Amino acid sequence: MTLKEGLLNIIITGVGGQGNVVASQIFASAAVRDGFYVSVGETYGAAQRGGAVMSHVRLSEETQYGSLTPEGRAHIILGFEPVECLRTIGSFGNEKTKVIANPRPVYSIDVLSGASKYPAVEEVLKSIKELAYSIQVVEATELAKKAGDPIMQNVVMVGCLAGSGFTPVKVETVKDIIKETFAKRRPEANLKAFELGLREIRRTKPL
Amino acid sequence: MSYVEIDEPGKRVLLMGNEAVARGALEAGVDFCSGYPGNPASEILEALAKAAKKADFYVEWSVNEIVALEVAGAAAFTGLRALTAMKNLGADVCADFLMTTNLSGTRGGFVLVTGDDPSAHSTTSELDTRNYARLAEIPLLEPATTQEAKDMTKWAFDLSQELGVICMVRTVTRLSHSRGVVTLGPIKRDKRSAEFSSQDMWTSGSSNIQCMFHSILHEKLKRAQQKFEESKFNWYVGKENADFIIITSGTGWPYSFEAVKLLGLENEVGILKLGTTWPLPEKLVASHLKHAKEVLFVEETDPFLEQNVKILAAELAAEGVGPITFYGKKSNHIRGEFGAGTGELNVDIAIRALTEVKKVPYPLRGKEYSEKAQKLLSSYVPARSMSFCAGCPHRASFWAIKKAAKWDGRDAIVTGDIGCYSLGMLPTGFSVAKTLHCMGAGIGTANGFGNLKEFGLDKPAIAIAGDSTFYHACMPALVNARWNGSNILLVVLDNNTTAMTGHQPHPGTGVNAMGDSSPRVLIEDICKAVGAEVRVCDPFDQDEAVQNLYEMLQNEGLKVMIFRHECPLAFPKEKKAKVYVDQDKCLSEECGCVKFCTRVFGCPGNIWDYEKGKAKIDEVICNGCGLCAKLCPAGAIIVEEVT
Amino acid sequence: MSSIAVKGPKDLQKIVIAKGLCSACGACTNLCPYIDMVKGRAVLIEPCGLSEGKCYDFCPRTYVDVPSLDKTIFGSYRKNLAIGSNISIIKARAKDSKIRSSAQYGGVVSALVTYALETGKIDAAVLAKSKDKISAEPTIARNRKEALECAGSKYIVCPTVTGVLEAIKQEKSKIGVVGTSCQITAVRKMQASNFEIEADKIGLLIGLFCTWAVSPKAYGYIKDLVGSAKVIKLDVPPPPANIFVMQTDAKRIEVPLDEVRKFIMPACNVCFDMTNEFADISVGTVEGEEDWNTVIVRTKEGEKILQAAVDAGVIETKPLEKERFDHLCEASLTRKKRVLTETEAEKTAYLTIREEDKSKIVS
Repeated sequence: MTLKEGLLNIIITGVGGQGNVVASQIFASAAVRDGFYVSVGETYGAAQRGGAVMSHVRLSEETQYGSLTPEGRAHIILGFEPVECLRTIGSFGNEKTKVIANPRPVYSIDVLSGASKYPAVEEVLKSIKELAYSIQVVEATELAKKAGDPIMQNVVMVGCLAGSGFTPVKVETVKDIIKETFAKRRPEANLKAFELGLREIRRTKPL
Repeated sequence: MSYVEIDEPGKRVLLMGNEAVARGALEAGVDFCSGYPGNPASEILEALAKAAKKADFYVEWSVNEIVALEVAGAAAFTGLRALTAMKNLGADVCADFLMTTNLSGTRGGFVLVTGDDPSAHSTTSELDTRNYARLAEIPLLEPATTQEAKDMTKWAFDLSQELGVICMVRTVTRLSHSRGVVTLGPIKRDKRSAEFSSQDMWTSGSSNIQCMFHSILHEKLKRAQQKFEESKFNWYVGKENADFIIITSGTGWPYSFEAVKLLGLENEVGILKLGTTWPLPEKLVASHLKHAKEVLFVEETDPFLEQNVKILAAELAAEGVGPITFYGKKSNHIRGEFGAGTGELNVDIAIRALTEVKKVPYPLRGKEYSEKAQKLLSSYVPARSMSFCAGCPHRASFWAIKKAAKWDGRDAIVTGDIGCYSLGMLPTGFSVAKTLHCMGAGIGTANGFGNLKEFGLDKPAIAIAGDSTFYHACMPALVNARWNGSNILLVVLDNNTTAMTGHQPHPGTGVNAMGDSSPRVLIEDICKAVGAEVRVCDPFDQDEAVQNLYEMLQNEGLKVMIFRHECPLAFPKEKKAKVYVDQDKCLSEECGCVKFCTRVFGCPGNIWDYEKGKAKIDEVICNGCGLCAKLCPAGAIIVEEVT
Repeated sequence: MSSIAVKGPKDLQKIVIAKGLCSACGACTNLCPYIDMVKGRAVLIEPCGLSEGKCYDFCPRTYVDVPSLDKTIFGSYRKNLAIGSNISIIKARAKDSKIRSSAQYGGVVSALVTYALETGKIDAAVLAKSKDKISAEPTIARNRKEALECAGSKYIVCPTVTGVLEAIKQEKSKIGVVGTSCQITAVRKMQASNFEIEADKIGLLIGLFCTWAVSPKAYGYIKDLVGSAKVIKLDVPPPPANIFVMQTDAKRIEVPLDEVRKFIMPACNVCFDMTNEFADISVGTVEGEEDWNTVIVRTKEGEKILQAAVDAGVIETKPLEKERFDHLCEASLTRKKRVLTETEAEKTAYLTIREEDKSKIVS
């Protein structure tokens, strides 16, 4: 599969601490190995302390682009958290954007303190659907628990992205990177999480 | 082994900008590296430290940036290749030495790498350190891609060694923390030995000697400029002899070419991309000013290129160059959310400037879609403020400080400082801290607030500082407080790490940058030596913490309370305790509680069970620290230790 | 039930704490994380946001609906305007001379409390305990020894009602309380409150006659005079002495009472209740007879336990002479008159008394 526009923009969005950065690194490394130019841009440091985190992974066949996707130009959004997913597609989505979303909410302290209200997740997913070409909902945290630890939801989601057919990156390449990345940190569990994501996305119909 | 260290020249790998800088230093055969953790530059030294042992060179975290520059400077004097890395504000801290070592020169290659943070995502100023290169009159390189981050850093050592002056490489967050493809080069490891002969003298001099050295510095700059004219880091693409050109540097380059592409202007405009931006390669720039009638500057953050090129253009006017219409920050075309000259650059800003200046349309995603997105965003999307992590001792410390200050009742002034605990100004820190500037400014300004009694300000002054901050910047102000009789209470939040920047070690941790054990310099020893009243407490022992703080506030003079408790991210527990809410006991919104845990305490692990109308623990986020259980007025939160 | 509107902590702050009317009784603390008691001051840590709260409802300075409390406690409005409802007024003292010697005067309070504990009439007594005989903390006594450690008058305020709330939390089923007028009033408000607080656990209220207490700021003053010596007893002898006595193991120190009066809590200046009108039994001095107490028995519960103690030979009584009775009533009435006429109206706005009584007192 080649890139129609010569460029593929993927945004992985979530909350600090969800393993956003690791996920983007894995996928980007796989893309490099498959021969693409890749730029990965993310928010670091202070933003991690409970704030929203976005990782942009931009693939190109010709050259290295800047690391941030321009407004309205995301092709794929991988949402680790529903409200962040909506926030991201609002700024970066267009009618052709494809979304894969984990529906488990992470409440901000603004919500918990009563200053803001967290909307019903169904409403959020509905809103995303209105702004996207398609949205597939995957209970990635539940699948991660099956694999052994809810914290691996990011690896499940990488599996979803790899198996979605939306990108030209080979599944085997991503798998190899997963094995190398977690060689010393629960390799079997992480591989299982990846494969659960891989399988799940293939049988998940869009909303 | 990480991609930074592997010796496979020609291999294509994904590297972070900071890692690429480290790789460049390795390929240049760096001997001595120093720095202080600071966003967005921290990973440079971390990557070098990882490679150091095997590759047999030296890396240290220094106690602050000026010491870092000084230790590296000394190494460079002896002929070694030295690199110092820091965040933008670090340049402020080391400016004193920078402004004198530029004059004293160097023997070995000496490279200063600064990481700027446009939009100040994780810092308190978006200071543009390119201005320091101009001020210090030293060569400046601005990488535009991850590949250039490596190549320029490598070249900077050769340049510095040849010219005998420190050279600066300036990156920004979007390059430092972004990852891109880098083709690796060979790693060099020359055997160098440090030499200092009895004839050696390293100084910037003073009076005539300083003027002489200053003149020599100007000569070095001229030679740098000659090299820059031929540098492969500068290039021109697009329409030959175009009427409309973009002059850009750094991250402005990818943004510019993508903007031009999206607007379909590839055959209409030219882009002059400069990688060597001080001194300007004047002949090269002049050659393009000659054919340009309009110039758009795309750079971040200050109008650095803009102003310097305009000066050149003014000088060239006598030769018939111009008139040229300049666009950029002065004309308000390159502007962020809050105006020109502030905020980070991106493709959309470049696009907007081009559409305004070239009067071309930009077909985005359709007005209808944008309106729909706007509506859905505003009705459904709650804010996500920053908060301390679950189990963070700062939450405990700030609650104790808030209580003690209320007990005291005199409206204490609490000054903040730089670190995770900077969040003490926000609701997550109960909005306790009222000031925030730079490293050490907490105790510095408290010194002032604590000495204004004769002017009618009789409120207790409480300064906050982290452990790493203490070593970096607080000691002089501590001595000052004692010497000038300022009535202050310094609360040191000692979590045994430099947390905000990625858990680097510091002089109190017993470990150095290379992971070897090192002597511990204890904060309480220093404070006692200065003559302060010193107490040490675990902020998780809330009653003790509040009582001690309150007592100290009643005493006059210099007092130091050390709140000591390890950062749970840096020192994760093997098995975290199971914490849950006995919802039968939970008082929820009733008088006596009114949702204390979620509404006030604010740990992200304390969430609300909207179905049952009671508190709940998010077991994925909860760290098992048990502080909420201690504070729960109903005793409804249960902590079960796991053996 | 009082018909007066119950408000919240913001109003508590505005009309009591900010006006300096807090008597440090402790009723608003130990209820939630938002109010603490610090050195004789109630301190709001953080607004809880409620517009109606227990803190406001229990506080003896937000509102005291005297007719309503009389009705609830005694069944009907008081006949005696000066000293409140009563069944009998007598002199009494502890028979055990050991109790009397550790007590301030007649030892009636100590005797009653130890008797009630030992016979199981109460399981716990909330008292003020002083380790150094200068300042005191609330404590929960469960036996004779612990109760007798609390004998003797305390002149520096002690937030005893926090101890009451603590005792209720610890699920003691019958709690006795010894307190000053504001403290006993607070406990009665707790019992009358619409807030569910398990106040039915409170069994016996022994009130102390009280004219004033001093703030914890007096601690430094007293400690400086006493030095390193151990304090045996502090005392204010009856007029016309007009002195404050500090008896230590080394010597007896006397200072003019006015020196100590400087530390009187401003809250005491608006207090209407010298004889502790809402207690089951109120206990005070007998001027000139240091070995005896004046005792006002007010409720059936109080009468029952006093009689039981007399029958058990723990307490002995004798009649109170008419002159003493008249003198007591006059003193109490004079105080009420002074509060109503010499204090700013807004500071006595908390008091709800019948209009006709107001005019009777003032005339």
